[in-house]
Amino acid sequence: MDPAANGTDVTVDLKVNGRHETRTVPARTLLVHFVRDRLGLTGTHVGCDTTQCGACTVEVDGVAVKSCTMLAAQAGGCEITTIEGVAPGDGDGLDPVQQAFWDEHGLQCGFCTPGMVMAIRQLLRDTPVPTNDEIRHGISGNLCRCTGYQNIVAAARSAARTSTGTRRSSRADPSATSTAPAGEVS
Amino acid sequence: MYPAEFAYLRPPDLDGLYTALAQHGDGAKLIAGGQSLLPMMKLRLATPDVVVDIGGARELRGQWRTEQGVRIGAATTYRELQRSPRTLALLPGLAGALEVIADQQVRARGTVGGALAHADPTADLPAILLALDASVDLHSRQAERRLALSDFITGVFATDLRDDEVLTAVEASEPPEGSGGAYTKFEQPASHFALCGVAAVLTVEAGTVRRARVAMTGVTAMPSRLSNVERALTGCRADPAALSESATVASEGIEPLGDLHAPPEYRRHLLEVATRDAVRTAAARAGVRWSA
Ligand SMILES: Cc1cc2nc3c(=O)[nH]c(=O)nc-3n(C[C@H](O)[C@H](O)[C@H](O)COP(=O)(O)OP(=O)(O)OC[C@H]3O[C@@H](n4cnc5c(N)ncnc54)[C@H](O)[C@@H]3O)c2cc1C
Ligand code: FES
Ligand code: FES
Repeated sequence: MDPAANGTDVTVDLKVNGRHETRTVPARTLLVHFVRDRLGLTGTHVGCDTTQCGACTVEVDGVAVKSCTMLAAQAGGCEITTIEGVAPGDGDGLDPVQQAFWDEHGLQCGFCTPGMVMAIRQLLRDTPVPTNDEIRHGISGNLCRCTGYQNIVAAARSAARTSTGTRRSSRADPSATSTAPAGEVS
Repeated sequence: MYPAEFAYLRPPDLDGLYTALAQHGDGAKLIAGGQSLLPMMKLRLATPDVVVDIGGARELRGQWRTEQGVRIGAATTYRELQRSPRTLALLPGLAGALEVIADQQVRARGTVGGALAHADPTADLPAILLALDASVDLHSRQAERRLALSDFITGVFATDLRDDEVLTAVEASEPPEGSGGAYTKFEQPASHFALCGVAAVLTVEAGTVRRARVAMTGVTAMPSRLSNVERALTGCRADPAALSESATVASEGIEPLGDLHAPPEYRRHLLEVATRDAVRTAAARAGVRWSA
């Protein structure tokens, strides 16, 4: 879809956690502000606002990105998943990564947690059975000021154990499949 | 932090990009992944009137085998490259460089064209692409031209790109058979940017280095080839001592930059260490066995 440019406003039409949303916003609106302020989904946090901390991580078309460093307009036509959308069913249960944070005490204040969960979901989609080094490399774009990371790494390990083979991928990662035809050397 | 106000356009194809650029002149700025441009706009270091999104132009995506090597569309993300085993197999050293760029979320958005057009003096991709003899394609409504990457980057955040041009693709050369590549980086832990990075692509034949491409980033105003090291390596026996020796000339004639994180002398030291590691790893990957 092509957002209609109208002066400095744009109409952004996208799907968030499975729901269609259309809003007209200033073009400079960042995706994180669109999600938090326009849609009221405040589970996605703003930590640094400088692309360093990862607290704002959401999935765009199934791939984790930092929503403080993407225009809402750039996400037009995309499917967004925020932390509010990861739990299965009507939101009663927990995503395996959320459950693992609970089990392993992977959070203290919880500020970094939504972004950590999104980052680890991405890590496990790419590397279902990661080593500790791979886990730390995977979350190197996410900062935590409380835990010292030990229990976050333990949570990622635990989620990998419980979800290997069983974890759903409700929204496919298009870069896993569509890069091949469009992107691969022919 | 919000960027200053701007109008946003997303033309549906390359032709639309040319039109938008021609219409809005130097008030317009292209946006690809936005991983450099948006932070700069938030700091008001960049205040374009019109932001032109290249995301609609499908022509800028894809990777094609060419006679020389691989042509990579400018809008290809780091992540897409990382997931393209055939490209990585043809371009030694690239996989290792991609792995240490930023973090997984930034790699999902950052593009090849954006990295080259931004010309950050500490960017990783230019170093490995210089070692792979890359050139860039620049297109405008009126003209198209091809430049060696080494001629394209002209200084700190400076390139030869004109206001009405789009960087459409980069072509990297497949080195001869018997080549191996490596990228060694010392990074600033908070930002992940390179204090010093060295890329090496070596071709080894019967225990002798036949061809060497070595390039650095993070040390001076812009990424560049280390021709001293390349000369020292060419024709040299591919054994650990001789390869290490070549690294001692790495910083000859180079005036490293200094900042809060690394004064010039430290960068000079890192340059030698990174060069040694990169050339030895590249030689090992070219099939050299130390015991042989
Ligand atoms: C937290 C963080 C960590 C980072 N760490 C690293 C790191 O470790 N190593 C590293 O190398 N980089 C690092 N980066 C930088 C990142 O790699 C670059 O920002 C990114 O690759 C630029 O690509 P982009 O698509 O995001 O470009 P954009 O930000 O969209 O654009 C950058 C510039 O290029 C221009 N441009 C973009 N595409 C084109 C085109 N096709 N034709 C002409 N001009 C164009 C734009 O107008 C703009 O001036 C980091 C960035 C962040 C935010
Ligand atoms: S708020 Fe986006 S990375 Fe910190
Ligand atoms: S739990 Fe407090 S920042 Fe991570």
